[in-house]
Amino acid sequence: MSANYSKEKLTLVNELIYEIKVKEAMSKKVISSRENVTFREIQLKLKENKISGIPILDKEKNIIGIVSIDDVITAFDKGYVDSKITDYMTRDVITIPQNLSVVSAINRLDKFKVGRLPVTQSLDSKKIVGIITLSDILNRLLVVVQSIAEKVEDKEVRNTQISHDLIKSIEKNPLRFEVKGDDFNSAGSVASIIKKYFRNLGISKEIIRRIAIVCYEAEMNICLHSLGGSIAVEVNNNNAIIYAHDKGPGIPDIELALTPGFTTASEKIRALGFGAGMGLPNIRHYADKFEIKSSLKTGTELKAIINLGVKNEVK
Amino acid sequence: MNKSKNHIYYNIKKDEIENNIYRCFFRKRVIMKVKDLIRILDAEVLCCEDFLDQETKDFGACDLLSDILAYSKDEYVLLTGLTSSQVVRTAELTGAIAIVFVRGKLPPQEAIGLAKSHHIPLLKTDNLMFTSCRKIVEEFIKEEKNK
Repeated sequence: MSANYSKEKLTLVNELIYEIKVKEAMSKKVISSRENVTFREIQLKLKENKISGIPILDKEKNIIGIVSIDDVITAFDKGYVDSKITDYMTRDVITIPQNLSVVSAINRLDKFKVGRLPVTQSLDSKKIVGIITLSDILNRLLVVVQSIAEKVEDKEVRNTQISHDLIKSIEKNPLRFEVKGDDFNSAGSVASIIKKYFRNLGISKEIIRRIAIVCYEAEMNICLHSLGGSIAVEVNNNNAIIYAHDKGPGIPDIELALTPGFTTASEKIRALGFGAGMGLPNIRHYADKFEIKSSLKTGTELKAIINLGVKNEVK
Repeated sequence: MNKSKNHIYYNIKKDEIENNIYRCFFRKRVIMKVKDLIRILDAEVLCCEDFLDQETKDFGACDLLSDILAYSKDEYVLLTGLTSSQVVRTAELTGAIAIVFVRGKLPPQEAIGLAKSHHIPLLKTDNLMFTSCRKIVEEFIKEEKNK
C-alpha cells in the first residue's frame, strides 16, 4: 500500500496532519443550544456569532443533535420557523473524538460533506469538548509551520554565529600535528582530533565525514609508508585545506600510486586491514581539490581542499 | 561502483525515496535499533550498553578498512571480522553507530577502551559474516511484510 503514493510530493504539511491532534486544533469555546428553542432563536444566534451551525446539547453537555444554517433556511421556506427545533434537527450527528489526528477530521469533513465536527471527549463518549472546522485546522497548521520556521531560522543564525567565530580563530592559528612513521597504535588519533574540532564549527555532517576520512587516509599514509611527517589544517575562504607532509622517501611514480588497487604495503600493514591501494584514490575522491607533489629527495607534499558549504562568506 | 573481492557492502533499502514515503504517510518505520541486533544475531554486548537505542537502516559488512573508508555511509552499523583498534578508529571517523564482530572474535582491550571513549557500542556474535548479513536482511524483509 505504500509504493502507490510515491508519485505524490511530500511536504511538511503532509507529515504534520498526522501529528497534530484534533484537540490541539479545535476551538474549545463551543456555541451550543438546548433543544427547547425555536428556529428563529437559532437563526439569531447564528447571526450574532457569525457561525453556520450549532450543536444541540442536553444538560450534561452530551450531544443530541445539530442545526445548520441550511436547516434554518428550510424552516423559513416550509414555514415552521417559529416551531421548536426538536422535531426537525439532525439527530444523527457526525462527531470526532479529540485524540484522533486532524487527518481523520479532514477525511470525515470530506466524506460526510459537513462543515463542522463536534469534538467528543473520547470514542464512546457523547460529551462535547470542542468543535472543529476546516479553518480551525488551517489556522493550527499555519501556527505550527510558523513556529517550525522560526526554530529553524534561530538555529541557522546561531550556527552561523558559532561557526564564524570558530572559523576566524582557526584562520589565525592553523592546526598542526606531528605524525610519527611506523607508529600504528596511535595512527588515526590526529584525524580524530580534527574531526572533533570541525564538529564544533557547526558545518554539515557529510562534510565533516569527508574531512575526517581525508585526514585519516593521509595520516595512515604518513604512518605506513614514510619516515614521519605532519598534518596541518587551515580554514580559508570557506574551504578547509589539509596539508600533509612527510620526510621521505617519496613516491617514484605518482600516477601509479593514484591507481586504485596499487599498493606497496607490507604483510604487516595488510594484516591490519589496510594496504588495499585505496588511500590516495580515496583522498582524491573525497576532496574537492587535490594536489600531490613528491620527490625522492625531500619527500611527499599533499594538499586537499574541501568546501565547507557555509553559505555566508566569512570576512 | 567497483567492488573488490573482500567487499560486501549491503544497503538494505533499495529505494530510499519509497521508504521515506512509507515513513511519512504511515508513521511506521522500517528502521532497526542497535539493540535489536542482540536478538537477531544472538550477540553479546562488550561495551557502551547506554547507546543501544540508536536507529539505522544502513549496514556495512567489510574486512578491509580501506573499503570502509571508500564506500560506507553515515550512521551505519559495521560488521567486521577484524579486531584491531584501527577498526574502532575507522568506524569512529566514518560515523558508525555500532560495530559487530563476527565469527566470535574478541577485540583487544585497547579497542574496547577506544570504543568506550567514543561511545560506540561493540557487539560480538558467533555467526559467520555471511550468516550475520543474511539474518539482518531476513529481519528487514519480515518487518516489511508485517506492515
